[in-house]
Amino acid sequence: MAAYKRQFYPGTTTPAKNRRRYMDPKVKLKKLRDVAMDDVVRIMGHRNPGEDYKSIHPPIEEGKEPDCPIRKLVTPIEGAKHGDRIRYIQFTDSVYFAPISPYQRAWMYLSRYRGIDTGTLSGRQIIEVRERDLEVLAKEYIDNETFDPALTGIRGATVHGHACRLDEHGLMFDAWQRYVWDDEKKEVVYVKDQVAIPLDRRISVGKPAAMSDLKKRTTIFRADGVDMRDDKEVTMYGLRIHKLRTLGGYQPWKVKGE
Amino acid sequence: MIITNRLLSADTTEKVLNALESVPNIRQINLTGESIPKTINSGPGKGLPNNHSEHKVIRVKGKDIELRYLVGGFLVELEVDDEESLDARVEEIKAVCNATIEHGYSLQVGRYSKYKPTLHDYRSE
Repeated sequence: MAAYKRQFYPGTTTPAKNRRRYMDPKVKLKKLRDVAMDDVVRIMGHRNPGEDYKSIHPPIEEGKEPDCPIRKLVTPIEGAKHGDRIRYIQFTDSVYFAPISPYQRAWMYLSRYRGIDTGTLSGRQIIEVRERDLEVLAKEYIDNETFDPALTGIRGATVHGHACRLDEHGLMFDAWQRYVWDDEKKEVVYVKDQVAIPLDRRISVGKPAAMSDLKKRTTIFRADGVDMRDDKEVTMYGLRIHKLRTLGGYQPWKVKGE
Repeated sequence: MIITNRLLSADTTEKVLNALESVPNIRQINLTGESIPKTINSGPGKGLPNNHSEHKVIRVKGKDIELRYLVGGFLVELEVDDEESLDARVEEIKAVCNATIEHGYSLQVGRYSKYKPTLHDYRSE
């Protein structure tokens, strides 16, 4: 029997292809900007840059762990080794062709990382990781192609806005205005951290992408972009799951040959 | 009913409202949009001032009005007696919107408020 080759997502349209790309851990995502690590730490607001990591248990190397076969089997991630706290970053993705949407974020994170916990909501996606690993991950996802300054927000609370109309500068609505439009530089600038505590300096996250570019990068199927029904394979995949779930729930004896 | 394609800044809202002043037969204008709180209402920063640049006082018809929304819709109520004057007013409103709303809007004409008694009114008499 041939070795199983991992598959990610069906379909031939651009959003389907993008979904596959983001999920495939072998694909290195394009880096579009470089926000300094200290600034990422400031935006998240869990600790001050340069401050020591707080810990919730002694380092694993001290050997105070109970005797457990699973603990022996799993290599701990860096933060776990040091006993870091678990902290979070939460992204909000606009429905107006944001590069990625929350559900695919979950698929992507789980496909690419170990030692994370992620939660999906309609407009936002939280990742919880040990603090020092989180910082590396957060920087990666602010810098790379899954982030757009105008259509992706870093919001810990009051995330409302993903399904609202954009404002006059094309930014996603934010009741707490954590980021503002810099009209001189034509860039988006963070002035508050993810829970809206004012930052002591303005942090630029760069220029938003053009709508034409975003339509090529997005994973979102939309009637005014690529309609999901135009992708036969994706539609059939959805229908198949729907059919199997329904039959599985009510008439499981009818599920044959699947 | 004017629904804008983008949420309008306070300055644009002020412009639209002041421009609508030139249209006769307007009884009242209601605004809708996304609420902007005055203070941070949850999380560790609860109680801090929000300092949202669009939550501010605008001047309409010589009066100061505190704008609490990022406005995305205007419900303009007209007091007209016939179709002819209705059409004339709608055309004037369109001209105002074209001049002030940069990213476009959709305009619908209809009866959005109650104009005859309903069952509730008979009951509560």
